[in-house]
Amino acid sequence: MPLKWLLHWQPNAGTTVNSQILSEVSQCVESINGAKEGRWKSTLTFYRPVLRDQTLQAEYPRDCLGISLQEQPNKYYFILRSQRIVLEADSTIQMIMEKLQSYKSRVSLYFEGFQYQLGDFQLRVGKVVPTHSENLRGIVMEVEYLPISSLDKSRQIMEDFVDIWQETVSKRSLPGHFMHIEPNFAEYGLSDHYTSQHTAVQYAIVMAQLIASVRN
Amino acid sequence: MQQQPQAPVASATQPDQLESCETTAEAPPKQVALAMERLGQAARLIADVRLGADRLLEALFIAAQPHQSNKPLHLIVNEEATMRQHLQDLRAVGRQLEESGVLNSLRSRNNSWGLHMPLVCPDGAVVAYAWKRQLAGQAGASAVDRTRLALKAFTDQRRRFFPHLEDESSGQTSGVESGVSKKHCSSQASTLTHKEEPSEEKTLPEVLLRVEKEAPNMRIFTYQHLDWLKRASALSSSTNENFIESSKENNFQTSNRLRTGSLGPVSADQIAAVELLVPSVFRAIISLHPAGSIEPDAVAFFSPDEGGSYIHSRGFSVYHVFRHLTEHAVKALQFFLGINTDTALYNLLHWICSYETLFTKSCCIFNCCFAVNVGGF
Repeated sequence: MPLKWLLHWQPNAGTTVNSQILSEVSQCVESINGAKEGRWKSTLTFYRPVLRDQTLQAEYPRDCLGISLQEQPNKYYFILRSQRIVLEADSTIQMIMEKLQSYKSRVSLYFEGFQYQLGDFQLRVGKVVPTHSENLRGIVMEVEYLPISSLDKSRQIMEDFVDIWQETVSKRSLPGHFMHIEPNFAEYGLSDHYTSQHTAVQYAIVMAQLIASVRN
Repeated sequence: MQQQPQAPVASATQPDQLESCETTAEAPPKQVALAMERLGQAARLIADVRLGADRLLEALFIAAQPHQSNKPLHLIVNEEATMRQHLQDLRAVGRQLEESGVLNSLRSRNNSWGLHMPLVCPDGAVVAYAWKRQLAGQAGASAVDRTRLALKAFTDQRRRFFPHLEDESSGQTSGVESGVSKKHCSSQASTLTHKEEPSEEKTLPEVLLRVEKEAPNMRIFTYQHLDWLKRASALSSSTNENFIESSKENNFQTSNRLRTGSLGPVSADQIAAVELLVPSVFRAIISLHPAGSIEPDAVAFFSPDEGGSYIHSRGFSVYHVFRHLTEHAVKALQFFLGINTDTALYNLLHWICSYETLFTKSCCIFNCCFAVNVGGF
């Protein structure tokens, strides 16, 4: 399946992300002839273990993330970042989780925005908002290269593309820049051949970054 | 049917031209036949007149000689009578032709049948139907156009496939195409160094074996013609599971060490398609013609995730990068065929084996259209 790099917006120190930046970024994509195709939306949920005995808290992973991706409507992904575990499950697992009451969903976030086609690339620019508010928490961008599936083989092309992208964005003099963090997929047991599990891992990493930057 | 337009012309005839008045009431084909006949008559009469003139001259010549009898005088008198008759006949025929519009067809354009009478063209050619000549002229013109177009197409193709025959530096292609604000930076055609290696591979299995050693990551499968089409249709955009399954399916070897994707044993002389698969990078299809030979006749590149009946050696990928790659590959193929047909297949496969640099050396420009620079040998 086509491979994807997930970039997130890193605001400059002392600034916060706002919708103005989002619209500027969208304009950037259009300025390089990205053809707007439609909307996209993925959902990320924080789960917290429900324990009767609080002393056992330490034994359970604190951050259990669940992700539902637009391109895989029948699947649901779990990531335990501290344990480097990623799991692909059927989407009905959410129902099971609710019934089991072992983990409760604490916070849900939407990653949503517009999708653009650019030659062999597909770009998704999206805002990060909590489910029940319009508070903009962050901006992400998915850069997807359609023809091949090998992360290794595509690295050069993706880097070149991101360079061009960074150049385009920097011309707008926005207070911040896009960053790409390459997760160590091997630690999660993932191979060079790209899958949605790779995407899930990237989202988990980006989420951690967003939290960290909000705290600072 | 009454031939109305001819009537005004016919009315100018003299009473002894009733014959031609009658003929104007007939259908054009009959008129044409009559006219042709009369033209023949006229030609014969003219020949007779010429002959008569020759005889007269001869008679005069003899008469000029001294000591002649009255013979030349008789000759001349006889000949004169004959000539006069011929000329009268000729005049009559001429008048008939004139009336039927043969000689005046350029003037009498209001022919209700839309047909012109036999036309005596300025260059002396007799055309039964003037419109035939027009059609012939049109056909001639379109033939000229067609030839011009064909020549242009040929020159374009030649420039495209044999750039090294042009006067510019060999191997450089401009690569600039018109597109919706897409500029391709000039992709360098592979800078090939021509290795003077004596090729020992004369058969397909030998060639493939040698190539297999060079690119261990590349999987080579061979197919009979129809078997490839079946496989192409069976290819679907692969999920992880499909990918693993299909790679297991095709990984069985036949006794002559050719990995065949065809179902059942396939002898080397039936192989019409060679598939080169580098997982996660590309899938290339080369067709051989005739089957079983080592002469490649087409090549195309596709994404390994693509599937469908359009995946064949003359098909085009949906992705730009593989379309570019196919164009380069086709040029390379033509180039290799131009050098030496026997080694063309090996050279092409060897060139494809240098794919490692495929996605690493890329040159890209602002509007994000990547032209891939394929590394050479």
